[in-house]
Amino acid sequence: MLVYVIRRIFVLIPMLVVISFLVYLGLELTPGDAVSSLINPEVASRITPEQLQALRESYGLNDPFLVRYVIWLGNIFQGNFGHSLAGGVPIATIFLDRLPATLELSFVALLFSTIIGCILGTISALRRGSPTDNFLTVFGMLGVSVPEFLFGLSVMLIFALNLGWLPAGGRLMPGYETIWDRAPHIVLPAMVLSLMMTAGVMRYSRSSMLDALTRDFIITARSKGLPEWRINLLHGFRVALTPVVVLIGFRLPLLIGGSVIIEQVFQWPGIGNEFITAVRGSDYPLVMMIALFSVFAVLMASLIIDVLTALIDPRVRLN
Amino acid sequence: MTNNPNVALSVKDLKTYFYTNSRCNKAVNGVSFEIEKGKTLCIVGESGCGKSVTASTIMQLLPKLSRIEQGEITYHSDAGDISIEELEPNGRKMRSIRGSEIAMIFQDPMTALNPVYTIGFQIGESLKYHTDLDRKQIRTKTIELLRNMGISLPEMRIDDYPHTFSGGMRQRAMIAMAMSCNPKILIADEPTTALDVTIQSQIFELMEKLKTDHGTAIMLITHDMGVVAELADNVAVMYMGNIVEAGTVDQVLRNPVHPYTRALLDSIPVLGMGKDQIIEPIPGSTPDPYNRPIGCQFAPRCSYAVDACDVMPDESYIDKTHRVMCWRYQELLPNAKK
Repeated sequence: MLVYVIRRIFVLIPMLVVISFLVYLGLELTPGDAVSSLINPEVASRITPEQLQALRESYGLNDPFLVRYVIWLGNIFQGNFGHSLAGGVPIATIFLDRLPATLELSFVALLFSTIIGCILGTISALRRGSPTDNFLTVFGMLGVSVPEFLFGLSVMLIFALNLGWLPAGGRLMPGYETIWDRAPHIVLPAMVLSLMMTAGVMRYSRSSMLDALTRDFIITARSKGLPEWRINLLHGFRVALTPVVVLIGFRLPLLIGGSVIIEQVFQWPGIGNEFITAVRGSDYPLVMMIALFSVFAVLMASLIIDVLTALIDPRVRLN
Repeated sequence: MTNNPNVALSVKDLKTYFYTNSRCNKAVNGVSFEIEKGKTLCIVGESGCGKSVTASTIMQLLPKLSRIEQGEITYHSDAGDISIEELEPNGRKMRSIRGSEIAMIFQDPMTALNPVYTIGFQIGESLKYHTDLDRKQIRTKTIELLRNMGISLPEMRIDDYPHTFSGGMRQRAMIAMAMSCNPKILIADEPTTALDVTIQSQIFELMEKLKTDHGTAIMLITHDMGVVAELADNVAVMYMGNIVEAGTVDQVLRNPVHPYTRALLDSIPVLGMGKDQIIEPIPGSTPDPYNRPIGCQFAPRCSYAVDACDVMPDESYIDKTHRVMCWRYQELLPNAKK
């Protein structure tokens, strides 16, 4: 197992290099470069082409594409992620600044949706066709089909603006930094994000559970005279868990990348929100790094999924 | 029905119906039989005749859409008779009988074991719920069971998962599981259909041994007449939810009276008879269970059918053990010996 994990991590490196190249290439192909977006259009008209050239030269933008790529990649491997074009802040600082907020929101949502989703899905499967199941099915359908921003704006309108129970956005107010001051801020974004994810996990665990309950070993378990709870949980749910773990695993990148839309709607100061700002401001170095980190998160998540699957399903062998 | 003290389970006029789309399938339509201690009762019949449903009914393992409509299933336990049909299907009493008093093994050992638990865990589960043994004793007992079932290196295999076992070994593990609490009755629902012939004979040897060693009453469901000839003490032939003929293995196989039993036996090739043997397939096919013949279920396919067959025949006893459901059994009796 350990050997497998180490080998997988080594396989990640060439994949990351390839993807970083694609990211770099993609931005190279977009019109304009760092200098043209750096300079205010009003100023640009007063700058001579020679001055522009000099500026390009000083940023190393006149070097051939591959050279620039290799320098950029080399810097990353040395831990130098570059600077944001807006304000020249080191990107590493931005990450350290924004990551806690994203982690906080995503972790709450992930934890909540996993636990509640699995419980509701199992109940729904065990009471198939009952009013409870029908209600949860409707809820699940709404959860997976209503767009996040619409749902986010609706709860904001109801709970923040009309009822005034909770703050509409942000993470904390300056000067109010105890957990009790901060908790109300996370309720709405976490609720929206969790409800969306809960619906997915619930639908998935319901169908997975229904499938498991029709398998022959359930009858075997029953023929041994085991109590129903043991049949449902130890034999049914345990087997139904594998596909659900995969689904949850695919959500893990959210921990690093953040949910772009929810963070934007609630002005949550996380990576996702930063990403939008960076794209709008043509902040290429930052966009590239966030994209690269998201890719890294996805690759790591798939590794974690593989390991988890092997842990819960003895038929899967990692070699 | 006799008051034979050796009877472990008696079933009387059992009817199990399935309800789907507001139609009713009378899967088991009035079946009576007894299983004796230390004897094997083979239930034979073609697919869909109600063999497996009969077995599930005894274990109360029926799917939700079906129910016991009528009849008695009496388990003659050491502590007195228990009417199984009156018990709550997943209630405490039924659960305490399942696995410990009446155990069952299934057709496909590939799917009947849970893939995510070790063999030892799954056998131990029965012991955990039906005995007072502690963890260590359960483990020792499980190893002993596996060894008795002919699994080599049981100390190591106990912690293996089902997918590392071959089909035959899985069925042995299933039997170990079923026999873990020394049940009085073992119901085997086509236990070797999914296995190859050499493994089949090993599994049957094992069941035969259990029968003689523990006096277990075995109810074996099969459609293999060779198996019946080899293992059965008593045979019941089922067709469309009825037992059309029942008796000792000699009576049914050597002197079959019911036209269906005869047709069934004529349709089986006999090994060693050469290529010139005449194999007579049964004409027609089994009727749609939702559109049954009015009287005798076999009448439309029967070469002996007469007008009287429009009424369902009663069970008639040829002698104390041999009974048949046919209006013309007395005419057929003299030429029964082939």
